[in-house]
This record gives sequence, structure tokens and C-alpha cells, in this order.
Amino acid sequence: MTSRVVVALRVAASPERAFEVFTAEIGAWWRPNDFFRFTPRDPGVLSFERGEGGRLVETLASGKVFEIGRIRVWSPPSRLVFGWRQATFAPDQDTEVEVRFEPAGAETRVTVEHAGWEAIPQMHVAKHHFPNHVFLQRHGEWWRGLLEAFKLRAGEEIEQ
Amino acid sequence: MTSLDRTLAALADPRRRAVVDVLRRGPRAAGDLARELGVSPSLMSRQLKALREGGLVEDAHPAFDTRLRIYALSPAPMAELRRWLEAAEQGWSEQLAAFKVHLERAP
Repeated sequence: MTSRVVVALRVAASPERAFEVFTAEIGAWWRPNDFFRFTPRDPGVLSFERGEGGRLVETLASGKVFEIGRIRVWSPPSRLVFGWRQATFAPDQDTEVEVRFEPAGAETRVTVEHAGWEAIPQMHVAKHHFPNHVFLQRHGEWWRGLLEAFKLRAGEEIEQ
Repeated sequence: MTSLDRTLAALADPRRRAVVDVLRRGPRAAGDLARELGVSPSLMSRQLKALREGGLVEDAHPAFDTRLRIYALSPAPMAELRRWLEAAEQGWSEQLAAFKVHLERAP
């Protein structure tokens, strides 16, 4: 199955600046929410270690550092790819986020594509600490494929 | 167990997810499903039972043959799942919107 979550919008900035702020200032703009809980603890602060092979990490209030994923492609100003794991993922489960920055007139179109949600981990993993709805949200991609069979709304973009 | 737990339990097995994937293409008789997936009729029967109990599939007899059971995906749990899916997209939409506000506010 090849379905995925794709969201895009335009920002009033050059691709260079958009890439820079996206990576260097993620700790300032990221909004912790249930869907993006990486660990069962209180959300911490996100940061990128610049360059390929660097990490995207969450630093918790206790000082502990959780590795969300390694940076797989670091191509400013156009493309960024990194791995994405949450603490409850099964050992063999890994997802990938690709962020593209494309010029759109004087602005930049930023597209986030989150792929790799096909496998559903075992129930005991999902039941440990996390409420069911969070577990299911993380498998939105697989559900999306299922829902397409029912001709329900699939995919949403905000265009501003 | 809640109905959601049952739905999830039914889907925890990758072989049952494969059955659901085939049914996405349209309703099938149990025998056709077994052939398409290369499993024995008895195993298919057990998997369909689990999926039925999970509320994911329903069966019906076609008018011309009451012995035949045709299995199809059940729309009931899908409406519930749709809401979670929307939350998934909402999650990234909110992050990008927050990114935009931050980016355009700074000089």
C-alpha cells in the first residue's frame, strides 16, 4: 500500500529562509499535541542536528534526549528527509518524513509528506501508556487506503 | 472490550489485514478469498470469523443462492476511523500553520 499523509501550504519567505527557520527554529514553532507525542512523558523541545546523519531529537524536561530519527537528506533550500519514530513503535517500524520547499512566485510552497505507516504494531505495544486513539492516529495512512474504498474524503491541503 | 478494541484486535494479524485489502477491491465469497490469498478454506473461515466479530466485515447471501456467503467490508467502523484519520492530517496541518506564523512574524 502506498498511501501517505500529505499537507502543504505557502509561506511568505524565500525557500532558503523557510528551510533555515524550519530546521534551526523547530524548537520555537513546533506545537506538541497528542498526535505527535514521541514518548509517554511530558513533551520536550525539538531540535535538528544540522546535516545528513545528524538527528532530530526531543529533549525532555529531565534532560533526557529522545532520538526521533536521523536526517537522511539535507539539501537546502529545497529538500529535507528524516526518519520518524515514536517511543511506542514496534522495533521494526520506521516512518519517514519528507519536506519540500519550492518557489511559488515571491513565496515558498512547503510540503510535508509522511510515509511508512503501513504496518500496525502489536496490540500490547499500543496499549502500553498510550490511549487507543493516539495509536490509531499514527496509522492514519493505512486507514486512509481503507477509507478510499469507501469513497470518503481523502487528503487535505491547506492553501493560503 | 470496546468495539474499537475488537476492531483493532481483528486487524492486529497481518494475514487478516491482507483479507481486508482484498475486500477493498470488492465483495468476495470465502472460497475466492482463500484462492486469492493462497490459504486453506478452513484458515480463511477462521480469519473471516475474527473480522466479522471485529465488526470489519459483514456477510450476506445472494438472492440466487442461499448457501453462498458473500463477504464485504462493513462501513460502520469506517466512519469512526475517518475521524482519527482527519486528526492525523490535522496534526500536520497545525504544525505547518504554526511554522508559517512563526516564520512570517520574525523579521
